[in-house]
Amino acid sequence: MLYGKGGCMVFNTGAALLDAIVLAVVSMEDEGTYGYRITQDVRKVIDVSESTLYPVLRRLQKDECLEVYDRQFDGRNRRYYKVTGRGMAQLNLYKAEWKTYIQKINAIFEGGVTA
Amino acid sequence: MSRTEFLAELERLLSGLPEEERQAAVQYYADYFADAGEENEPGVIRELGSPEKVAESIKADYYGTEFDEAKFDRRDYMEKYGQRSEKAGQEAGRSSEGADGRAYAQGGASDVEGQQKSAPWTSRGLKILLIALIAIVVWPVSLGLAGAVIGFAAAAVCFFACLVIAAAAVMLAGGVVAVTGLALMVIPPAGMIVVGIGILLFVLGLIATVAAVKLCIIVYPAMLKGFVNLCRRPFYGKAVS
Repeated sequence: MLYGKGGCMVFNTGAALLDAIVLAVVSMEDEGTYGYRITQDVRKVIDVSESTLYPVLRRLQKDECLEVYDRQFDGRNRRYYKVTGRGMAQLNLYKAEWKTYIQKINAIFEGGVTA
Repeated sequence: MSRTEFLAELERLLSGLPEEERQAAVQYYADYFADAGEENEPGVIRELGSPEKVAESIKADYYGTEFDEAKFDRRDYMEKYGQRSEKAGQEAGRSSEGADGRAYAQGGASDVEGQQKSAPWTSRGLKILLIALIAIVVWPVSLGLAGAVIGFAAAAVCFFACLVIAAAAVMLAGGVVAVTGLALMVIPPAGMIVVGIGILLFVLGLIATVAAVKLCIIVYPAMLKGFVNLCRRPFYGKAVS
């Protein structure tokens, strides 16, 4: 569980985990998604401030894990983010790492009982 | 601060970055405000903190340095649980004397405001004060109640002790009467009657004493247990059984 009393985060989210969460959130939309929505979706699971995500998105974009394109919306250009093939590979790597990680943690927490 | 002012300030603060980098960031936050909707504008501005904080997070990432969010956002983990981290506050205070003196100071002030708003009203000090107040108000009542309880307990304890003493007294009296009877043996019939009554009294007293002591052995531990339970009741759950 990531939440403590009152829904506050007890555990810190490291840079890699944040990257993984952002990639996973963006990958859920085939058409891509935009900054505000990504922030709202990420904030459903972890407690990050609204200014945290732009640098993450920008870095993932520079690493070619995300690609951006502009689309007309409501009389303005809205920037959309989409996961690239490279980003997908990175996300799968994160997912595999995460799985072994939580198994190890669970093993310690639950005294050898792994899910 | 309105969204237009916020974006203008952000653009100014990012002037050291390449044009493309700056445009991308400003575009992102312009999008962000537009998607959040006008009604959420104050909330978004409050959440973002200050243009300084946002600019710093962008620049830190661009130059590859670690962005220390705690320096700008003092609502860290400990504070969420009502414990202010004074160290963080001092650090932020020092940063407000940085290059952009006035702008930083303004940002810092609004940060402090936000922090105070978000601090839970039930702080530890307030709780202690409340408990002390309640204790003072309830004190006369609780004192009276405690007196009554102790009085009842003392009465009960004394009652059973008196039973033992009374029984013992009857026994003693019987003994004395029997001895007196022996002295009266000069008049045999009177002496025998008195000795008989004395022995009878002594035996009755003995039986009563034994019975009373047995009663005490049963009643006193039960009373003690009951009293302890009564005292424990207000602290239910905290008591070790």
